[in-house]
Amino acid sequence: MPQNKDTNGTLRQSRRLPLATAIGGLIWLAVIATATVLMLAHAGAPGEASTPPAVWPASSKVPHDQARPTLVLFVHPRCPCSRATIGELAVLMAHAQGKVNVRALFLRPAGTSTDWAESDTWHQAAAIPGVAVQGDDAGTEARRFGMKTSGDAALYAADGRLLFHGGLTISRGHAGDNPGRDTLLALLHNEPTPATQTPVFGCALFEPGTNGLASTECRKERLQP
Amino acid sequence: MTNEPEAISSAVQQRSTELFHGHQDEIHRRTDRMFAYLMTVQWLAGIVAAVWISPRTWAGAQSQIHWHVWAAIFIGGAITGLPVALACLQPGRPLTRHVIGVGQMLTSALLIHLTGGRIETHFHVFGSLAFLAFYRDWRVLISATVVVALDHVLRGAFWPQSVFGVLTSSPWRSIEHAGWVVFEDFFLLISISHGLRELRGIAERQARLEAVNQEIEQRVELRTAELQKEIGERKRSEAERERIHKQLLDVSRQAGMAEVATSVLHNVGNVLNSVNVSCSLIAKALRNPKWTHLAKSAELIQAHSDRLPAFFADDPKGKQLPAFLMKLTGHLAEEQEEVTEELVSLQANVDHIKEIVAMQQSYARISGVQELVSAADLVEDALRMNSLAMERHGVRVVREYSDAPSILVEKHKVLQILVNLIRNAKHALDDRTDDDKRVTLRVGLNGNNCVKIAVLDNGVGIPPENLARIFEHGFTTRKDGHGFGLHSASLSARELGGNLTAHSDGSGLGAKFTLELPVEPKTTSV
Repeated sequence: MPQNKDTNGTLRQSRRLPLATAIGGLIWLAVIATATVLMLAHAGAPGEASTPPAVWPASSKVPHDQARPTLVLFVHPRCPCSRATIGELAVLMAHAQGKVNVRALFLRPAGTSTDWAESDTWHQAAAIPGVAVQGDDAGTEARRFGMKTSGDAALYAADGRLLFHGGLTISRGHAGDNPGRDTLLALLHNEPTPATQTPVFGCALFEPGTNGLASTECRKERLQP
Repeated sequence: MTNEPEAISSAVQQRSTELFHGHQDEIHRRTDRMFAYLMTVQWLAGIVAAVWISPRTWAGAQSQIHWHVWAAIFIGGAITGLPVALACLQPGRPLTRHVIGVGQMLTSALLIHLTGGRIETHFHVFGSLAFLAFYRDWRVLISATVVVALDHVLRGAFWPQSVFGVLTSSPWRSIEHAGWVVFEDFFLLISISHGLRELRGIAERQARLEAVNQEIEQRVELRTAELQKEIGERKRSEAERERIHKQLLDVSRQAGMAEVATSVLHNVGNVLNSVNVSCSLIAKALRNPKWTHLAKSAELIQAHSDRLPAFFADDPKGKQLPAFLMKLTGHLAEEQEEVTEELVSLQANVDHIKEIVAMQQSYARISGVQELVSAADLVEDALRMNSLAMERHGVRVVREYSDAPSILVEKHKVLQILVNLIRNAKHALDDRTDDDKRVTLRVGLNGNNCVKIAVLDNGVGIPPENLARIFEHGFTTRKDGHGFGLHSASLSARELGGNLTAHSDGSGLGAKFTLELPVEPKTTSV
């Protein structure tokens, strides 16, 4: 190695250099670890809690299937986190084809054009068999169902009872196994479920202050006590 | 001596180790550079992915830049910065590649996060491990694997949903994930082990090759030194030989001149013999008592002057005196004639000596000057220097001269050669007992624009074994010979741009010496 052939002075220098580098490396690791913790904390922070009605709201224009459960999913069409939700919905539908009537409602804020909502997420959802996609003008239906965060879903039984509500991802935009999908599949297969609601990770459906929200960030729907 | 191979083997081993470490260092540096580029590209790709996948976060119709974009820029930059800096500033160091290994795994985690946990992005972990195996350093794989394991263990403990997608996870899930990494590590470690073994083998072969090359170079240097020494010695030897050759040439020339001088002196000596004989005869004639008889006769007449008639008539002596005087007169006339003849001969001999000396002087004076001369004239002059000896030994000279152009030569050199050849021819005839002693002289033109002068004799001839050595320095068959003549003649012929050859059909069959000289002189080194 070159340092073995150097003079003593150079050797001393070369020994100090790795030590300095090692200290620098530790600092580097600490910085990255802190940033990673912050990133994971942000990713794991759920959106604002939703408060869906216990029974299917009669004023809703969304068709309610009287023969089988109906899943209503509220999505902000531009929310990147909700792509993972649609991905999980696709997985869900692959395992529960015909067992549920799914309505994906894409927010269409007031003052936006019709095609504003027809994002890639819209088309992604529309491509899933058994999923009906429609726009939600000014978030009327979202308010009606008490939804505040993109990716929030509510499963109503054929008789109108609320069976489940929450998100279908484990964190912000993170695909993969998650309790929401597992719970829904259990409900649709008439299996016992550990919980009836899960946190939801996604963008806020409404601007801050318009629906009692203080942040533009994706919020978790708080778990009901 | 017995320790020498061990010493060589130890040196090869040491060199092999040096080369092995050198190759390793080269690989480490090269792989550091590769990762410097790769990690930079990954960082930029992460930013592009964040901007592409999650550019903004929304709240109704309002939006702002997504946190992922900032994470890709700053966390990705932090992850990439130190490894790239180390790769550029301290390439080849162990710490650099360990930091790169850790950074690469952290990059995998970031990319997985930025792509929303896509299962395909997890392949980056396995690809990165394979890339890290390029270092051929198993420790780097361990560092990287520890990062993956710690990531899974810590996140599995504190945020299981972020890594396993579930809120609660079994420890076996971490083991399963780590197991796949270890699975790949296992084969990568085998590959690294094989790679290192190959590298060591290459280093050993190279070390041996270098040792062999070094040995060859040393031999070449040694041999070159020897050759240079040999060349030096050869040059010195060449110079010495040249000097001796020149010396020999000078000696030979002097010997050649001595031959001519000897020939001249021999002829002069012969003539002097005749002169001596003539002088003796004249002296003898002058000492003849007949002049005494004449004086006595005169005294007798003087004594009887008063009665001369009676004396001549009566005295017995007087009666015989007229007849005696007549007879005496006859004898004296004969002696006078003989003396006169001797004097003529003496004068002729003295003239001949004068002529020979003058000719010798004429040849001696013009040394080094080329003249246009007739070959036949040169032959005649050479013959003249040997003429008396030839005559005395009863040698018949046959001349066969053809038309030949004049040649531009140093004529004293040609004369030396010809005198030598003619003398040799005469000597070759010494033992011949019959009267057919013959020397034939031929002058002609050969087909190679050379004048050819041949001296043939029908003497003792030359046996084949001697013919090959006839022009060697010091070779002679005569008791009083010194072996300079023909050698000198041969050298002179070459100096003149020609050559001298000998031919004989064997002992007793005569010999033929042929001198060829170019019409136009050529410069020839001898």
